[in-house]
Amino acid sequence: MKMVRAIVRPEKENDVVLALEAKGFPAMTKTHVFGRGKQKGLKVGPIHYDELPKVMLMIVAEDSSVPVIVEVIKNSAYVGYEGDGKVFVSPVTEVYTIRTGEKSEG
Amino acid sequence: MMVEVTAIIRRDKVAPTMRALDAMGLGAMTITTVSGRGLQGGNVMTDLDREVPAEYDAVSKITRNLTPASFALVHSLTRPVFWIPKRMLQIVLPSSMKNEVVDMIMSVNRTGWMGDGKIFVSPIDESLRIRTGERGVDSV
Repeated sequence: MKMVRAIVRPEKENDVVLALEAKGFPAMTKTHVFGRGKQKGLKVGPIHYDELPKVMLMIVAEDSSVPVIVEVIKNSAYVGYEGDGKVFVSPVTEVYTIRTGEKSEG
Repeated sequence: MMVEVTAIIRRDKVAPTMRALDAMGLGAMTITTVSGRGLQGGNVMTDLDREVPAEYDAVSKITRNLTPASFALVHSLTRPVFWIPKRMLQIVLPSSMKNEVVDMIMSVNRTGWMGDGKIFVSPIDESLRIRTGERGVDSV
């Protein structure tokens, strides 16, 4: 299993979620985060924005569906400007469903 | 070796879970306010956690196989909810304690209703206590 964490523009959140749902991945967790990227934030005139609001979506999926998820996020979160976000993939060894106690590994 | 246990649970189960973890000697954790949507893609009513189960008990005696969603439809509670508020607990612990902790979290959080949450276990490569510079299992 892998956890895909996508940090996307808040205004693109709905597009990403609906695109993922259409591909059969409705389950995810969302949290509002603040971050800055390689450009060290945003400079508008004399004002420097150090912490830019983003939405982080976390999706845990089978290894085989990770390329599909990444592709969907890449297409639906794309604007073409700095600040479109990042996608991170990290390993998850076990997943439990609390309601049933069901365990899946790998 | 260390593992990170990430539990996404109901809001009202945070305190019981913390008490149970305390009793096991695990005081340290990170709690985040998150929103989630499970395989059902959200829910159809707002107060599933608090309002419905009591009523549901009475109704389910007559109709056994009523899901929360169809219960909402029958009772005109159709207020679709896209994101359900949840709490995410992240606990880093030595991998020897993993099974014990996972079983405990599951027994405390299980209500048998959709939305009880998920537990993810993932490997942690390195851990460092900033104050003392301890590394590895000593630092968690």
